[in-house]
Amino acid sequence: MARVAPLLAVLFLMVAGVVRADSPGHVPEPAGLWQGALHGYTPNTVAGAVVVDTAALEKLAADKKLVLIDVASADKKPENMPATALWFPNHRSIPGAVWLSGAGSGTSDAAFAVAFERRIADLTGGDKTKPIVAFCHPECWGSWNAAKRLAGLGYTAVYWYPEGMEGWQAVHETAVVKADPEWTASMSGGAER
Amino acid sequence: MKSLSRMSLIALGVLWSSGPLRADDQSERQARWKDIETSLFGTRAVQSGDGVIALDAPVRADDASLVPMGITLSAKQPVKSLYLVIDDNPAPVAAHYTFGPAADPREIKMRVRVNTYTNVHVVAELADGTLLETEKFVKASGGCSAPMGMSDEEAMKGMGEMRVKFAGDATPAKPVDATLMVRHPNFNGMQMNQLTRMYTPARYIQTIAVSDGPQKVFDLETGISLASNPVINFAFVPTEKGQLKVDVTDSENGHWEKTVPVPTLSN
Repeated sequence: MARVAPLLAVLFLMVAGVVRADSPGHVPEPAGLWQGALHGYTPNTVAGAVVVDTAALEKLAADKKLVLIDVASADKKPENMPATALWFPNHRSIPGAVWLSGAGSGTSDAAFAVAFERRIADLTGGDKTKPIVAFCHPECWGSWNAAKRLAGLGYTAVYWYPEGMEGWQAVHETAVVKADPEWTASMSGGAER
Repeated sequence: MKSLSRMSLIALGVLWSSGPLRADDQSERQARWKDIETSLFGTRAVQSGDGVIALDAPVRADDASLVPMGITLSAKQPVKSLYLVIDDNPAPVAAHYTFGPAADPREIKMRVRVNTYTNVHVVAELADGTLLETEKFVKASGGCSAPMGMSDEEAMKGMGEMRVKFAGDATPAKPVDATLMVRHPNFNGMQMNQLTRMYTPARYIQTIAVSDGPQKVFDLETGISLASNPVINFAFVPTEKGQLKVDVTDSENGHWEKTVPVPTLSN
């Protein structure tokens, strides 16, 4: 056993050396918003927000009145669908969530930032201590960005639920949620998605 | 007045939910199916297909981009057409088969993508216009955005190549089982290329027509819910000099065809 130990140590170092910074569980937090592709491995944390798993979210919802924001993007209609084919997207989410489609963008567009700030202020009634949960899908930077923005806006009870709709769906029923009309209207004004 | 009625709707919603984050899942799923049914069949009545249609689908699928669907039909009268509907997929109609005189639609198998936990419906339209349905709940998610794990070029290699396998030799006028395999990535526009981190543009199969000589086996209308490199199992009744012809078209005007002789018993 004593002879095997150094070999094991070398093996461990080899393996450790291979762990890439962008592999699951090893993604560093960017300083600002993530502006790369929204689909990909995310950090384990987001500064200024508390990470919650499904059990923690259940508990949170039982104790407090939450603002749940779903920032998943809407399904994109593929090109060249025949006119007779049925295109009928149906967005399932955590019951009670407000669906702000595309609100997880990392854009530095000022109009987007203003629209986001206004909509959240409406939803929280201007109460910066109101608990807000941001989510979308697993391995999606959108909700990470949203949590980051919320913390940056001075909200003090920001939660990030990285398991997203799929994590919720694995143990709970989901609800069909329509895109938030106010948010959609503010986005159609030309702000970058 | 308008805002009042909206307020009362919200109040009703709150009354209905029995606690935080609770949903009325069942009635929403039924409402969804009603909407789809209406857009497909208008006001025509759709009856229970119990005892006539059976849908074999996994309760929980390991790979949401390759979910096997097996449909068995035992109608006393000929089946005119068949719909496979994945309720919560954005394009719910995964397959619409229209059968011809050479078809033997007792059993059809194919693989589909499932976007989220959903009901799956099969509707069979009989010769007299009767519509029969059956339903299964399938737990699978992410099938629509699942990438293929290779470059787009690699995924498109050999696009349109086809193979047809027959379950043994055929006897004219007796049904034979066949398997059709088509090489096609069936990109749905929601998949991200792992290397470039860009969305792969949609390019998907729209129709597959199968005939034996002048006799139609089936016309299939399909779309983005069909799995990559589709495999379809079906049965048909070969003619004397069976020549199975397959025509495939896709959303980028791709068109491929292949004709294979049906191996017949030489006695």
